[in-house]
Amino acid sequence: MKHFSQVYAALRRRNRKQYALLTGCCFFSVLLITAYVCMMRSPTILTVLPEGGDSRKQVMMIFVLAVIGCAVFTTYAAALFLRQKSQENGIFLALGASRKQVQGELFRELGIISVGSCALGAILGAPLAWLLWQLFRLCVVDTDEMALRFDPQAYLLALAFSAFVIVVTFLLGHRSIRRTNIIDIVQESHKSEPIRDVPRWYGPLGIALVAVGCILGYLMPNFFILKLRWYAPSALTALFYLPALVGLYMLLLHTVVNGWGGRRRQYKDLISTSMMKFQGRQTVRNMLVMTLLIAGAYFGSFYAPMMGSSSLMGYASRPVDYAYHFRADQDIPQGQEVQAMAAEYGVEITRYVQVPMVRLGYDGTYAKETEGPLGVTTEPVYLELLGSQPFLSVSDYNALTGDSLHLQPGQAVGIVDPINGTGGFFDPDITIVTNPVTGERLSVESVDPVAHQTLFGYYILNDQDLEQISQGLPLDWQEEMVFFDVKNCDDTYYFAKDLFHTIVDRSGPEVEVVDSWDPVDRERQIQETGSYIMDPENVKEGTGADVDYAMRDSSTFRMYWQYMPQFRVLDQTEFLRTMAVFILLFVFVSIVCFAAVIIIAYTRCMTIALTNRKVYDDLRHLGAPRKYLYQSVRGQVKRVFLTPTLVGTILIYGFYILIMLFNGDSVEISITEAVGLLASLGLIVLVSLLLYGVYRMSLKRVCSALDVQRPGKQQRA
Amino acid sequence: MLTVENLHKSYQVGKTTYEVLKGVSLEVADGEFVAVMGPSGSGKTTLLNCISCYIPANEGSIRLGETELARLDEDALAQVRNKKLGFVFQDFLLLDGLTVRQNILLPAIIGESISQQAEERADQLCEVFGIGRIREKYPAEISGGEKQRTAVARALINHPLLILADEPTGNLDSKSSRAVISTFQQAQESLNATIFMVTHDSFAASFCDRVVILRDGVVWQVLSKGAQPRENFQDQLLDAIREMGKE
Repeated sequence: MKHFSQVYAALRRRNRKQYALLTGCCFFSVLLITAYVCMMRSPTILTVLPEGGDSRKQVMMIFVLAVIGCAVFTTYAAALFLRQKSQENGIFLALGASRKQVQGELFRELGIISVGSCALGAILGAPLAWLLWQLFRLCVVDTDEMALRFDPQAYLLALAFSAFVIVVTFLLGHRSIRRTNIIDIVQESHKSEPIRDVPRWYGPLGIALVAVGCILGYLMPNFFILKLRWYAPSALTALFYLPALVGLYMLLLHTVVNGWGGRRRQYKDLISTSMMKFQGRQTVRNMLVMTLLIAGAYFGSFYAPMMGSSSLMGYASRPVDYAYHFRADQDIPQGQEVQAMAAEYGVEITRYVQVPMVRLGYDGTYAKETEGPLGVTTEPVYLELLGSQPFLSVSDYNALTGDSLHLQPGQAVGIVDPINGTGGFFDPDITIVTNPVTGERLSVESVDPVAHQTLFGYYILNDQDLEQISQGLPLDWQEEMVFFDVKNCDDTYYFAKDLFHTIVDRSGPEVEVVDSWDPVDRERQIQETGSYIMDPENVKEGTGADVDYAMRDSSTFRMYWQYMPQFRVLDQTEFLRTMAVFILLFVFVSIVCFAAVIIIAYTRCMTIALTNRKVYDDLRHLGAPRKYLYQSVRGQVKRVFLTPTLVGTILIYGFYILIMLFNGDSVEISITEAVGLLASLGLIVLVSLLLYGVYRMSLKRVCSALDVQRPGKQQRA
Repeated sequence: MLTVENLHKSYQVGKTTYEVLKGVSLEVADGEFVAVMGPSGSGKTTLLNCISCYIPANEGSIRLGETELARLDEDALAQVRNKKLGFVFQDFLLLDGLTVRQNILLPAIIGESISQQAEERADQLCEVFGIGRIREKYPAEISGGEKQRTAVARALINHPLLILADEPTGNLDSKSSRAVISTFQQAQESLNATIFMVTHDSFAASFCDRVVILRDGVVWQVLSKGAQPRENFQDQLLDAIREMGKE
């Protein structure tokens, strides 16, 4: 051994576990973030997630959480590595090595570790994302829409995160060498991170703050919009979540420092509690990140059961097997043609009803937006001709639904959704109905709305009123609504598929529009601004969620096409296929977050083994029995896993219940939401079992590293 | 060899300033074995850390030969620590990943002065201090006394002007302590090493030529062994400590 670098190499061989831990942390954090960012920025995903939509915001929010989590645990791993390295560096400095000399060697090692592991993580991130996605396609569902494409720009974000990891590692390395006092460097690895005494009321107050923060954070944006007519900036509304974050920190601090066992357990848990307490800041920070990641992961994974239960139950509760509507100027299969098609497939139509509808204008109030220094404010503006919707005569409504609704002349009825009511955007109360072509108006009085799932959003008029007001409407303002039931609906999938494809194939380009495209609204907006945001070219440019006949099986088309048929068997059978991109994206996000949680928890547990070895030797010397040592190790490992898992799970489940409570017209949880929550509970059980498995494995590894054996095992041996 | 004049050092803890050294002056001659004793908080370790250039003094002068240490920049101080000073610590501070021989050679490797001669000297030091048979072992495989003898050999590898030892027997049993003190004596006698040792142990100090007793940051008394037997000198030291306790 002739050179300083050879000394470093010899020490590296000796301490390979510490090197492996840092390398693994850097590699996994960059791997996960690269995989996530490749997925998040993939054109395949962006096409399905409308810009500015909730889904994209949620994916972004969980991404930020994952970045924070990975950044914190990588920083932690680097700090831990340097703490363990500091005694060696202190000895070198004490024996006359210059700081430049030591820093040179340290930086060379940090460079190899951080640049190497980050590069490997960044290179393998995209293949990992692709592999996972292919696995989903292979095992769950596969559609043309799901062919995963990557955006090279995604790599810029992955590179930025890699750069962050490398820079932080070097900054910490520089800081550890630059300390002026050599004695401090030598003694660095013996230092603990004490937390000041924490009053016991931190726990209950923390829980209260979490609850208050979640409620305020969720409800305040709606309060601003509905009561103050102000779209407050996101930065401001996000502030209302702050009490929840502070509360969470207090709650974890109390758990780490005081524990929840009361004074009875004070002595039983003395060793495990004090060990965690004196690595305080890092322990609490780690637990906070894990809690948030678990919450984020569950938030993503609840998407599938919630959406699955509400959609599948929605399909099942539809009052009619087959329903579709089309503009009267379109050549769409109907009547005899449908009967003939059904006969070809051996499908027996048991009831067939077809009624005419007309698109008429209605009055109402909309929120006119004004851009101001404090964000967008709104003021209600009443328009006699606000928009247009299909209108039915009361006789035709009764024919379709089998109801016996009766309307006097001058009366109008809006049709709401049986589960979601108005859905927050439909106004059943109208006073003026307008013929948009002739301009003729009819004053109406709205009576109590009726509920029908398939006809949600339409209006009903007295027969004579409808006939009178629709005089002079050309075919492109007229529609046909078809309802029919079949025998053995579940066996009619191929007929449903063929009919759907025929409807799409025979629809003209003039009806290739999204569901919120409204000719009345279009005319007004073109007069005011010169363009209409819902025109196909603008939709494609804006949100990217345009409808395209060539992509008739895509989720975007099926969710947004204005004339999308509602065929129960088709929707049920192809639910997974239609929603595949959404569901798999959220499943992917959850996997990434849970993987980060598992890595953080495992790293933290191995830290216990690395930093407390001497304490366990001392305890052995003091005569501690195996059982005591095992219980002490288990106490710490358990707390690392249990606390964040429990808090994160309860937190997000509670938050989901809150969302379900307040997302309808009334403060209640619907039956579909309750089923979704129950399904999510099942998912929690599955994930908890997985985490329990990782906990058992980590406990085993920590015990093995500390030479602590499980008492029962020893006795059997 | 070593001249310390009017050395002051204070620490700031919060808003309170603790003055640990309040004008310490002393000299150590070439080839002399000097100990510093004193109760806890008297400033022994702070004095040693200042001389070692681990912490800067607030005021005063430390001269090693003709070199004024306070005037040196960081690189020059590193050179002094590597070439002119040798260190022995209470908890040995050996690197667990290196063998005994590699640990001894470490200052030569750091100072880029590793050569055939350095390797021969390391082997010679191993023989002199009775650790030749364990030179290929790792620190975890040897006893505390052997670790400290390894540390003394490491301190001597670069022919330093002065060996600074901080409580070298503090972590050892009496047998190992005796072995380490013998090592210092051997270093003094056969290699003409100059040794400056901080200790609590009157037994270890009784082997020294001179003992400086510190109290509350100043030199309280200096006792010389002279020609008297070691046992008598130890009694003299114990009397002085007893007397200091009465005041």
